[in-house]
Amino acid sequence: MHSDYRPMRLDEIDDSLQKEIRDNCGVDVEMCMECGKCTGGCSNGHVFDYTPRKIIQMVKLNAEDSLMNMDALWICLSCHLCSDRCPSGIDTPRILDYMREKAYRKGITTRPKITLFHELMLSSVRKSGRISELPLLLKFNWKTRQYMKDAFLGLKMLLKGKISFHSPGIKDRERIRYLFTKSRIKGGARQ
Amino acid sequence: MNIAYFPGCSVHSMAKEYDRSARLVCNDLGVHLEEVTDWNCCGATAAHSVDHALTLELNGRNLAAVSRMGFDKVTTPCAGCFNRMKTVGLELKSSQLVKRDIPDVMHLLQFFTEQIGLDKITASVVKSARGLKLAAYYGCLITRPRKITGFDDPEQPTSMDRILQAIGAETVKWSHKAECCGGGFAASETSIIIDLAGQVLEAARQAGAQAIVVACPMCQANLDTRQKNIEEERGIIYGLPIIYFTQLIALAFGHSRREAGLSRLLVSPLPLLSRSGLA
Repeated sequence: MHSDYRPMRLDEIDDSLQKEIRDNCGVDVEMCMECGKCTGGCSNGHVFDYTPRKIIQMVKLNAEDSLMNMDALWICLSCHLCSDRCPSGIDTPRILDYMREKAYRKGITTRPKITLFHELMLSSVRKSGRISELPLLLKFNWKTRQYMKDAFLGLKMLLKGKISFHSPGIKDRERIRYLFTKSRIKGGARQ
Repeated sequence: MNIAYFPGCSVHSMAKEYDRSARLVCNDLGVHLEEVTDWNCCGATAAHSVDHALTLELNGRNLAAVSRMGFDKVTTPCAGCFNRMKTVGLELKSSQLVKRDIPDVMHLLQFFTEQIGLDKITASVVKSARGLKLAAYYGCLITRPRKITGFDDPEQPTSMDRILQAIGAETVKWSHKAECCGGGFAASETSIIIDLAGQVLEAARQAGAQAIVVACPMCQANLDTRQKNIEEERGIIYGLPIIYFTQLIALAFGHSRREAGLSRLLVSPLPLLSRSGLA
């Protein structure tokens, strides 16, 4: 037995992250009653390292490092089952968005492929105002060195006209570039 | 009736058949869909995942374009665009950063049930879909989260079921109506799609559905294009066509299979639909 053991006291824990989330996302985790409906419903919870109920507790415990380094951050589907079923109306996907953005700015990711895909998608939007699916998929496969991934499926879709090499962008591209000026998204250079 | 229409990137490329059949059906019902002037991408999963401010900017520009066109409502066939636009609209409204009125965002399914009405749809049917046993699949973002969407029931939605019944089809009771198909991870983390979309296909099969009917380009793509991989993974042949609800309405309104764009679906719905006399 550890002689220096004493129970954790919540009133001694720094609540700065909890306050930060409340001020920046308008989400008050204090309302959580730990019923676990969020975790019970979570679409992808069976492959998460930390489930939604635990994530809320981690915010309360000020476990910022664990939150920013967890895998769940990147494989959350934003399906909103957790927030929809929460009796206290806690918007967990908003907390995850906030923490993911923070992690991204520090260059942290547990799923480089997913992060790269987000970056490539947004660089397509930055360039033409819209997403062109085929060039995006080709670029993604090229950068992740999966040259033959979905090649047969892609060919079938190309023949059906489901995807094409050219899709028209928008006219006012200057405005789109302006909207991106404050953004810190990298141009898909990672990997 | 006129309404502003936001197609979205998928609907302009992968889901052209959804766009065309929606326009066709609306035209029959006396509705003109006016495309939002020079619309841009809603930012999809990518923008809200890594840059919240960018989501606000991208959708704010689209909502402003709708207002400039003189509309107070906009409808979109994509569940993702719908959810992004509506969330941003409400956030802008509550932040009071924007002084002008922000247009109301409706998913096409909501527009059909609430603005057009089932009676009008039933009245235009010339070929009944009788004999078809369909699974209406809503996915996540059309009805969730309820405080944002304010439409239908997030656990057991019925709007699409009622539309399909209005054109004569039978809809099955099933468990995965509003479960997630895996969304935007189709290319970046395909195993998630194989897992989740596989569960949806299995639930539809167990409920005895002959096809799954969808109202979102992502749901369609995941269930249709990944069905082969799922069949290999699970060792079960599903062969379930994944059809847009507007395509079925178009057929019921007397349009040809060509006009409804049936050949663009990977799992062909033609054997099923010609057997039932709809196409």
